[in-house]
Amino acid sequence: MNIRESELPGIGCKFELITRNNEKLVIVIHDDGRRELYHFDSENEESISSISFNDSEARKIAAIIGGMVYKPQALEKIEMAFEGLVIEWFKVEAGSAAINNTIVDLEIRNKYNVTVIAILKKNMKKFFNPGPDTIIEAGDKLVLSGERHELSQLIKSVLSYGGD
Amino acid sequence: MDHLIFEVGTALVLVSIAAILAGKFKFSIIPFLIVLGMIVGPHAPQIGIIDLRFIQSEDIISFLGRIGVLFLLFYLGLEFSIKKLIKSGRNIVVGGTIYILINFGLGLIYGFSMGYPLLEVLIMAGVISFSSSAIVAKVIVDLRRTGNTETELILGIIMFEDIFLAVYLSVVSGLILGDNTSVWGMLASSGIALGYMLLFFVIARKATPLLNKLLNISSDEIFIIVVFSALFFVSGFSETIHVAEAIGALLLGLVFSETEHSDRIEHLVVPFRDFFGALFFFSFGLSIDPFTLGGAVWLTLGAVLITILGNFIAGMIAGLKAGLSYKASTNIGLTIVSRGEFSIIMANLGIAGGLMPMLKPFSALYVLILAILGPIMTKESKTIYLWLDKIFKWSNKNQNQKSGM
Repeated sequence: MNIRESELPGIGCKFELITRNNEKLVIVIHDDGRRELYHFDSENEESISSISFNDSEARKIAAIIGGMVYKPQALEKIEMAFEGLVIEWFKVEAGSAAINNTIVDLEIRNKYNVTVIAILKKNMKKFFNPGPDTIIEAGDKLVLSGERHELSQLIKSVLSYGGD
Repeated sequence: MDHLIFEVGTALVLVSIAAILAGKFKFSIIPFLIVLGMIVGPHAPQIGIIDLRFIQSEDIISFLGRIGVLFLLFYLGLEFSIKKLIKSGRNIVVGGTIYILINFGLGLIYGFSMGYPLLEVLIMAGVISFSSSAIVAKVIVDLRRTGNTETELILGIIMFEDIFLAVYLSVVSGLILGDNTSVWGMLASSGIALGYMLLFFVIARKATPLLNKLLNISSDEIFIIVVFSALFFVSGFSETIHVAEAIGALLLGLVFSETEHSDRIEHLVVPFRDFFGALFFFSFGLSIDPFTLGGAVWLTLGAVLITILGNFIAGMIAGLKAGLSYKASTNIGLTIVSRGEFSIIMANLGIAGGLMPMLKPFSALYVLILAILGPIMTKESKTIYLWLDKIFKWSNKNQNQKSGM
């Protein structure tokens, strides 16, 4: 799928993509946080349908489309299989190797091929796409994605108490 | 007794009523505020304690309006970015150049053929050339056309216009406010204005790390005081060397746009721009005697006509060159035709420089017509396209192009 990104000065950013079925979708992200989706068919120059979301609606819908279940805070562990790709929630155990280390020090990406998508701190503060220098503390909930066996490897040795 | 605050308060109540009305009709507030300003004023009645003549407060309202211009142009400067323009690609640069050549050229020809002197013609051509970024962006969002293919090109052309506007305003303000009695004097004045501008470009490039450090203020309170003091001081200083204060504000915005604090300043400035900007449009209307409008009708209608024609042709050429269809290209011209804040700022510059008072009713009437007609034409672009298609048979050509490929 080909995605074309372009700027709309004074309005925001535009993403244009054409699906395998030759349908065109245009996503416009307004600077004020609004999102608009336009659906074009292959013939028409004008959109055949459109919808707009505010910021929080857009995030919820993104989570649904992306295959994550919304509001997973209530649950300790959710898994979703996606052709070998797994997204998992894990609460860092006290006394594990990860405590007070940064993501880059733990080599989560290099060694285990796992990506930290988000961190939910104890005080319910959320960090999406945490940088490599983010420090992991006990009680943090991590949203991780990667291959199933690599994920369990990481959880066993780094995030659980009594790992190496 | 001094009723100054009450008078300003009355003005603000009227301004907000006009703004609400404009919102109800889904129009830009600019024409509403100008009309409002023209209705009230010295010829309006005094109803009980409410004085609609605004005699006492006229000075203060026009001062608040002047601040509005500073914020409007400061914001324009903040948005201004050569980097964005370079990134935007060939179509926009080509389209923007075509647009400016055609419309600025037509403006010059029109002004001269009407027999006006050089400086007046330069202002008129400016009034005619510059689309209203505010109205165009609003109309595109309101009509849900942000996703259309031509929208990118439209906004790109607007951005290109803004950059040309910045340079043009600087040069013209130098000409008008400086010594314009001889050719040498004029060259020197515009030279000073250009040099002043270049100085700011150099500052923007070289002093960014220093400014980053200086502006690294965590307290919002102190930050706003520092930024605004710089804005007023630099703008005021520019005036002393015959560069319009508005240009000072624009150039400072340009310098700040290069710093890492540009987003923060932008967020900070927007409410001030909106509020004082509204007062600017109101005070502009207030300074116009509606009975002088009659004298400018034919001049204005001519200008409106060549604007619509020039914009349409430029949009068509730019669109087709960028590989868009006839229909999308029609949209371009019919969207960028709206006029507003920049036309008034342009005219205001001429008035400040003591040029012919005719510029005022001309620009007011011109903006009133195109701020209202522009969005209507944008909305009805499909009807207009179908109508033109019957004459020019574009849809056949499109078909041929497709089958030919």
